[in-house]
Amino acid sequence: MFLLTGQRHLSMMPSMSGEKKERITITVDPDVARYAEHLVATGKATSVAAVFNDSVAAKRIADQHGLALLRERARSADPERVARMRRHVNLQLAEQGFPAAPGE
Amino acid sequence: MSDFTPIPYILDSSVLIDVARGDADLIGFLQDFDRAGHSLIIPSLTAAGALLDSQGLPDAQALLTGLAAFEHTTVAPLDGIPQAAKLAAMVNLMSSTELNSFDAHAAAIADVAICPILTLKASMWAWLSSTLDAPLHIIEIADPDQ
Repeated sequence: MFLLTGQRHLSMMPSMSGEKKERITITVDPDVARYAEHLVATGKATSVAAVFNDSVAAKRIADQHGLALLRERARSADPERVARMRRHVNLQLAEQGFPAAPGE
Repeated sequence: MSDFTPIPYILDSSVLIDVARGDADLIGFLQDFDRAGHSLIIPSLTAAGALLDSQGLPDAQALLTGLAAFEHTTVAPLDGIPQAAKLAAMVNLMSSTELNSFDAHAAAIADVAICPILTLKASMWAWLSSTLDAPLHIIEIADPDQ
């Protein structure tokens, strides 16, 4: 279990929101904890808190990149065709006893 | 007040492969589905199959990452030996079908959880569904005008 006391100057990435960092307690796998401590001991990270902060920040960037790509592709969708697909799916759902999406 | 109760929908490899290829209409459909409050499940092994099929496409992994980041999407892990055994039984059953073997994870979840499977080709699932004690609920995403 780690008590993460991330101060702004400890993280390798600045706070993207500019807000004061929060103190949280997390439980992680032992090998992950050891590796985080190894990164600190070898000077590759300034603190264990920074390791976890940067990991979550990297996941957030990957998620946001993926979502942005998906939304960009979705803007090229044919709305009439998508509506026909949705009606076709909802018809099958109703036939099999499942609720349709709201607003249909 | 709506009596709409969301149920999870499992995405099969045909859907995940086309998302990884950037199919705009399918992505638009799934985006609307998520915004309507439907829960989507991505079986992790089925996602692996989709990525295997999409090798060389630079955005494939990012597109599936984005799908997994939808508000109501969950990536289902394979957890424990009982689930592995269920998966093995499905792979064995599916060996004589045109289903992608990575779809065994979708089938195993659907069989246990009684959730519908969303697919681009319902006919692929017909034989497997008929062999199970409880038939699977297969929903085809298609444009009936095409």
